[in-house]
Amino acid sequence: MKVRRNIGWLILLLFIALFPVTLGRISPYYNTVLILVGIYVILAVSLDLLIGFAGQISVGHAAFYAMGAYTSGILTAKHGISPPIALLCGLFVSGLIAWGIGRAVLRLKGYYLAMATLGLNAVIVKLITCFASVTGGASGLLNIPSFRIFGLTLQDHTYYYYFVWGLVILVISCCVALAKSPFGSTLVAIHSDEEAASTLGVDCPKYKLHVFVISSMLAGVAGSLFAHFMGFIAPDDFDIFTSILILVMLFLGGVGTIYGAALGAAFLKLLPEVTYRFQHYELFFHGLILILVLIFMPKGLLGILANVKDWVLAFGYRSNPPSLGTEP
Amino acid sequence: MHDEVSGDGGVNGKHLLWVESITKSFSGLTALFDVSFGVERGHIKALIGPNGAGKTTLLNVISGILSPDSGHVYYRGKDLTRLRSHEIAAQGLSRTFQLVRLFTANNAKVLDNLLVGAHLKLKPSFLKSLFLRGMIRHQNREVRERADEKLRFVGLEPALGDTLPSNLPFGNQRLLEIARALMAEPEMLLLDEPASGLNDAEVEDFKNLLLAVKEKGVTILLVEHNMKLVMDVADEIVVLNFGRKLAEGSCNEISSDRKVIEAYLGADYMKWGGGNHSG
Repeated sequence: MKVRRNIGWLILLLFIALFPVTLGRISPYYNTVLILVGIYVILAVSLDLLIGFAGQISVGHAAFYAMGAYTSGILTAKHGISPPIALLCGLFVSGLIAWGIGRAVLRLKGYYLAMATLGLNAVIVKLITCFASVTGGASGLLNIPSFRIFGLTLQDHTYYYYFVWGLVILVISCCVALAKSPFGSTLVAIHSDEEAASTLGVDCPKYKLHVFVISSMLAGVAGSLFAHFMGFIAPDDFDIFTSILILVMLFLGGVGTIYGAALGAAFLKLLPEVTYRFQHYELFFHGLILILVLIFMPKGLLGILANVKDWVLAFGYRSNPPSLGTEP
Repeated sequence: MHDEVSGDGGVNGKHLLWVESITKSFSGLTALFDVSFGVERGHIKALIGPNGAGKTTLLNVISGILSPDSGHVYYRGKDLTRLRSHEIAAQGLSRTFQLVRLFTANNAKVLDNLLVGAHLKLKPSFLKSLFLRGMIRHQNREVRERADEKLRFVGLEPALGDTLPSNLPFGNQRLLEIARALMAEPEMLLLDEPASGLNDAEVEDFKNLLLAVKEKGVTILLVEHNMKLVMDVADEIVVLNFGRKLAEGSCNEISSDRKVIEAYLGADYMKWGGGNHSG
């Protein structure tokens, strides 16, 4: 039954919607944490389309995150462009660069593609640092205004929270729609066997480029949201380690499921809120948890949740075995 | 024995596929040399030859996975030689592989494989997926029906749609690959040793499947080692050896061609009772 299947998601949605006005009132700090969670969810989910579905390994996602952030930041801070327009520009610039570079880079496979995207990330960060007059260089870009939309300034974190999470829900639903559609099946075919797919008429380079551009544009959106949230951005926020962090979020949560990516992003972003208590041992527990999940749960956190659900259901069956002739 | 050398690129309409003077080398090793032959519309043509003769290489050239060093591939009179494989598939030419290549990433099911088979009909795009969701739902239903039809056609249960391809027995995986190739309603099929690994009963069923496909009007170029299947099913045979065309003709002509017997048929031929033949 549809309602029963989706009740988990409805509860989650309700929690997200009500958080700022309930628990968020008690501790506004967590509003800011959840805004960052939302931004990283967009990053992880967009990367899942590229890696989890199309099978194209990218370790340079932060490059497009940076392009969205800096385009938005520079246009609003230095040229007074309105934030929504700047966001669209950030989206466009990320997409454009992805288009230009993708045509060449996506001819590479496996490790070579990974190295090329790593290199791209490094180049972008270096360029940002060098063109200091435009980007503020290594010291960063300051005075990025809060998001202003329809005359409303989203300075209050509660307002920005709803704006960000509204976009997050939109992005997730779009990515799920893409994944479940014939477009998604085409990506999976490319992931499995490009040669075989091409004999069925699939133009593999075209589809790989499309998903690369879409994924990069979404990262650009996350970048813009980040820039307006922090008010200040620096190249350090977008380096290779950030790309690797997003990659880890993806695999931790469950690659190739979209929801898994969101779960991984939330988990990894919220984990420091728990492990900070270990102070000096924080990184140790961080790494330990990662290793344990990856070894014992190759399907990631989403796999664990699915297993828990199965155990609960199985337990239910054992206590109440269905009578003959009944369909579950 | 007759050799067909037509200089018009097979445009005479009788030949759906016309391969002309194909030469292909790999770092000094000549895999194919000056191979020419045609496949008549609606026929099943078998491409036989010892292992290493260049049969799969030739299929790869025809389907666009490889580019020949020289020569041409004509399809319906159109020169396909420099086209890429997906463009050739769009012309109506589909193929299967020697080692079954089904899609298995992301827990892809049998149905997902067939869905990709219908790629040329569906023409998926991210814009359609985002903005025309109603149309996608409608298309999915149609594709599902066509998938069930193709599964039944090759002899598989439509209920298998939700299973993982790796859970199917090998023979059924081969049938699935053929069903997938048929999803785009191709005009011509290139089959690479589809009967290898099948037992006698399965080969018998497979023979009937090939004849059923032929009856639907699909032209077939069949690379095969199973001589009994070839003799039962093929309208004509072309023989390759060491990358060169050795002979071409009807089943009787080939089975009594001394050069072919020497190179290839040998003991197998004696086994299934090669009758009288002229030296």
